[in-house]
Amino acid sequence: MNKKSMGYVLGFTLLVCVFCGAGVATVHFSTLGLLEKNEALHRNRVICRAFLLDVPGESAEAYAEAIRNHIRISRVRDGNSLRTVYRRTDAGQEAVGFDFGGMGFWDRINGIVVLTPDLAQILNIQFFDHKETPGLGARIEEQTFTDQFKGLQVAWERDAGQRVVIGASPEPDAGNRVDAITGATQTSSALMGFLNAELERVRNLEIE
Amino acid sequence: MAESPARILENGLWKENPIYRQVLGICSALAVTNLLANTLFMCFGVIFTVTLSNFTISLLRNHIPPRVRMIVQVLIIATFVMMVDIIIKALAPDIHRFIGPYVGLIITNCIIMGRAEAFASQNKPVASLLDGLACGMGYSLVLIAIALVREPFGFGTILGYALPAREVWWHQWTIMVMPPGAFFMLAIATWIARSVFVKKPAK
Repeated sequence: MNKKSMGYVLGFTLLVCVFCGAGVATVHFSTLGLLEKNEALHRNRVICRAFLLDVPGESAEAYAEAIRNHIRISRVRDGNSLRTVYRRTDAGQEAVGFDFGGMGFWDRINGIVVLTPDLAQILNIQFFDHKETPGLGARIEEQTFTDQFKGLQVAWERDAGQRVVIGASPEPDAGNRVDAITGATQTSSALMGFLNAELERVRNLEIE
Repeated sequence: MAESPARILENGLWKENPIYRQVLGICSALAVTNLLANTLFMCFGVIFTVTLSNFTISLLRNHIPPRVRMIVQVLIIATFVMMVDIIIKALAPDIHRFIGPYVGLIITNCIIMGRAEAFASQNKPVASLLDGLACGMGYSLVLIAIALVREPFGFGTILGYALPAREVWWHQWTIMVMPPGAFFMLAIATWIARSVFVKKPAK
């Protein structure tokens, strides 16, 4: 058969596409259950880290159990959508957490922010997923960066975009400021922008 | 004339090593070598892809229409990269979160396309499979050597296990964690390898 004919080229290319697609689909569907389990474990691990829960062991069941015992999860109407809200009601360790997210430098960043019940102070911040540059913007999930948010004041009396400041400020010692990540100014600015916007939204939520 | 299996392996591992002789696949060599575990998974990805894509392209070499040759090769390479990406994501999600972007970039790794064009499209399947394996292992050897220096200096660990009496003598070299550390180590590894393994032509 003439390998240069249009019919052969189209037919061959189509056949290769079908086989390649089938191969990828087979691997994808055969690992789907495992991927879902991994995703659930990752999510639970981030929630436990955000609420500083003591988890005995590293198993998926241990994380799920810790969340069942300490955190109440609900979905609250936020405008036209629903927002996930986490409540910790252990005596002396009361806290409320919210899923938050927004556009980073490359793609959407999703995380959880945990506050005191009166929303006056951030207790912790953790990230579920992001696609920031490894070694630069991706350092938002490093402990040295997230630890800065522990005990950070939310300056509700200020403008909506300045309640939490990430990076340079005329008041470097302000209680609502943390350092940005060197070399990742865009990621830090984006995070500051959507974190403040999300704080404004959660303040207006009606949480039981 | 077809090369012997031993010669193919020798070329991929030493004589024509993709990293220090052909200077290919440098992007991932720089990016993933600060932790040995990440490096091992990246090496698995490259060996898997280059071996199987070489084999498949060689199997089809007499049927691939010349004008769409490269498109078909990229399609086959991308298929294996997607497969290995899904496999790593399923088996080692924490490592995938870090090296995921680089696993995707294996599609554009010059080693894979280079071997497909230079070897697999002109040789028989078993020889091509061996060539892919040898090149993947040659790439892995250099990456593992670099990671074995960067992780202890940068984190004080090997495969996540702390070095003995680390708190007494060890001090972090931050540069080994950062990309510039990879540039220095890659240059040193290339220098040593070329000095030791590459014979200078007679004058």
